[in-house]
Amino acid sequence: MARRPVRVTAMLSLAALALTACSSASSTPAAQDAGTGGPVEGGTLVYAEVTPINNWQTQAARFYEKSNVLNSVLDRLTYFDPEQGELVPWIASDFSSNADATEFTFTIRSGVTFSDGSPLNAEAVKLNLDALGLGIEAAQVQPNVDFAGYSSAEVIGEDQVKVTLSSPNANFLRATSSVTAGLVSPATLKLDAAGQSAISRISGSGPFTFESEKPDEEVVLAKRTDYAWAPETAGNQGDAYLDKVVVKYLPEVAHRAGAVQSGQVDLVRGLQPLDEDALAASGNQVLPAKGIDLTVNMAAVRIGSGKLADENVRQALQIGIDRQSIKDTVLSDSYELAASVLNHQAPGFVDLSEELEYQPDEARALLDEAGWDVGADGIREKDGVKLEVTVTSSNNSVVIKPAFELIEQQWREIGVKLDNRAGDNTFLATAMPDPNVEFFGTRQFIYGGLGPIFEPANNTMTHTSDADLNAIFAAERAVTQGPERDELLAREQQALVVDKAYSLVLWDEVQVYGAHSDTHVEFTSGTAPVFQGAWKTGG
Amino acid sequence: MARYLVQRIGQALLVVWLAYTLVFLAVQLLPSDPVTIFLTVDSAVDQAAIDTMKSQYGYDQPLVVQYLHQLAGLFSGDFGYSLASGQSVRDRISGVAGSTVALAGSAFVTAVVIAVLLVAAATLTRSGVVRRVLVNLPPLFSAIPVFWLGLVLLELLSIRWGVMSLFPDGSFLSLAVPVLVLAIIVSAPLAQVLLKSVSHVYDQPFIDVLRAKGASRSWIFFRHALKNAAGPALTITGITVGTLFAGSVITETVFARSGLGSVVLQAVTTQDVPLVQGLVLLTATVFVVVNLVVDLLYPLLDPRILKSNGQGAPRALTA
Repeated sequence: MARRPVRVTAMLSLAALALTACSSASSTPAAQDAGTGGPVEGGTLVYAEVTPINNWQTQAARFYEKSNVLNSVLDRLTYFDPEQGELVPWIASDFSSNADATEFTFTIRSGVTFSDGSPLNAEAVKLNLDALGLGIEAAQVQPNVDFAGYSSAEVIGEDQVKVTLSSPNANFLRATSSVTAGLVSPATLKLDAAGQSAISRISGSGPFTFESEKPDEEVVLAKRTDYAWAPETAGNQGDAYLDKVVVKYLPEVAHRAGAVQSGQVDLVRGLQPLDEDALAASGNQVLPAKGIDLTVNMAAVRIGSGKLADENVRQALQIGIDRQSIKDTVLSDSYELAASVLNHQAPGFVDLSEELEYQPDEARALLDEAGWDVGADGIREKDGVKLEVTVTSSNNSVVIKPAFELIEQQWREIGVKLDNRAGDNTFLATAMPDPNVEFFGTRQFIYGGLGPIFEPANNTMTHTSDADLNAIFAAERAVTQGPERDELLAREQQALVVDKAYSLVLWDEVQVYGAHSDTHVEFTSGTAPVFQGAWKTGG
Repeated sequence: MARYLVQRIGQALLVVWLAYTLVFLAVQLLPSDPVTIFLTVDSAVDQAAIDTMKSQYGYDQPLVVQYLHQLAGLFSGDFGYSLASGQSVRDRISGVAGSTVALAGSAFVTAVVIAVLLVAAATLTRSGVVRRVLVNLPPLFSAIPVFWLGLVLLELLSIRWGVMSLFPDGSFLSLAVPVLVLAIIVSAPLAQVLLKSVSHVYDQPFIDVLRAKGASRSWIFFRHALKNAAGPALTITGITVGTLFAGSVITETVFARSGLGSVVLQAVTTQDVPLVQGLVLLTATVFVVVNLVVDLLYPLLDPRILKSNGQGAPRALTA
């Protein structure tokens, strides 16, 4: 069921592309006209997400369907400004840390209230931080993985909160900018598991509040007219321009471009590369939102099966990928090829593109050297074991399956057979916790740095706890800023991508949105649309 | 009659119990317990967190205890808790089941109407060409993939011509189009079986007697042939529930409707094993209940069933 629709939808879209290409000559590029003029007040924006979700528990907002909506409902202590590339004040009007990154002090902005009327003061922040750092046992809420080492929070004076960690974590401040660290009213924290996962019962201090829902079909958010506490660098410092945002769901990828073109939605996430040109040609907008808060898209390597235990083999596979041809064949201009495990705009990014050039001959030499000899069928083998490897991934990304189809061909040329199970969610269930499945195609939020996703022995990326790597992670967490921190971040990337090659990097994380020509919207560093600053020319 | 009733209901309960046991055993075959699978979907979690959640949901108990505890829960209508939403599985399913029942119910009625009309037209027409075309429609219907038909109709009706919404907005078309898409695939086996058994009935001598008495073609078809041919079609009805359910899952996804389809999709995507367990059990129960109803209706159509005292296979009488 999961496989066939893709092919058919691709064919349909091709047909649509051809048809639109014929008719686009006569249409005017409205998108450029819409760029002039200031924000327009009022109106309802219809936003189509990919699949409906049922659990809105805020700490578990580690996927887009959730964070993209909750971003407009919950405020955070800090905000990562994508243009400046740094954290700026939000609900915390000031924040600082001690030199060894074990104590953090936040000054809480005054006059902020939750939508249920209760004040967002230092006490409310303390309760939220405790819930994030320690979890809420009664409601089965796990501690936030980015809050590693959290020990306690105390209210100091009238408007300050001091957080104490049991071990250094220089990424702690960044973690407070994540949607998963969104602040909710103390009453929300007291709800049971089912209550916390109902969006109708979540009270935040954000620019929009819950108005109504039809389960699995629609969520309606209405603006808070008294909102006056946007992040310091936000263009709009007051309440939202839009009156309402209606969130709908379009699980069918083939309809997303058409939904914008026919004016049924103003904004849609998850446009496939095939539809981008047609949508732009029809006068509407293709908006790539860069995922600075995430890793790049990658194949994380597991060495459980033993086939990839030798780092030479992993390095051979890394340079056995022709990334440019992936971009030319299955991606579009909206995608930037990866040059590290971090995105180009991420703080501390180092450009490793020279190490990632396609070198099939060098790859073959490395595999020969590692003792994997080409067998009769062209597949390498060693001690009777064939170099056959498997990749798993969810079907969330619209491009990951075709990308691995191409890699399958490329690796075949260096004598490696890839069993492509990308996009097969049923297989993913058993493959995710299985260290013998060699590759996990994914991208991850890294508000807490790279450590939390690669470090634990049971981490689902590599299923390996590497002592050398972990030493660098620990050192990086203890240094809050300056050249020493950049140096440590560079060593992490060098180790993950080149020296140990645990991460076969593919392309920078980007979410491609389609927007109607009348729609004006920008995105956070986590690719969430900023509805507070959005407006529609048509009203 | 009472004995027949008790026997059939007893069999139905046995099937549901076996289905529950099979699902329970299948879950044990997974590489890990439901909580670990659920929590490891997206990132690395702390073992302590897994242990806490396991004990909260009772997955740390011995298997026999889990089995009996869950079985006891079933009798009190407790299907456990969805790991993804913390809601009880019963609430999660009953919250959206109405939408699926509306879709599947309307589609079923439409399918029966399509099948009967098609068979009536094929039987009553005097044109050989028309009959050949009509007789070949059901195989075509069963060959059309549900998602493809849905996609094409939405592409045309919604995106090209703008006469309906891509989303369920409560308008007539937003229910009628998915109902029709689902009805077409469901009508195929009904029409095929009905065609076959109608032609079988027409071979029987009493039809000749009716003709000799001067009964009109439509009188013979609607008053005599259809009733006698309905048995096998009724049997097939019990089986189409599966097609209906699977078709609903796809139709609901294509038409962005809420319902059991999207719950199935979410349960599988988020690796919510208790919810999947509940859905499988629900499907099995619906299957069993529908087949039970079919079995209980049978004697009304064919009193010979009761005479055979429940021995042998009653459906063989009309096959």
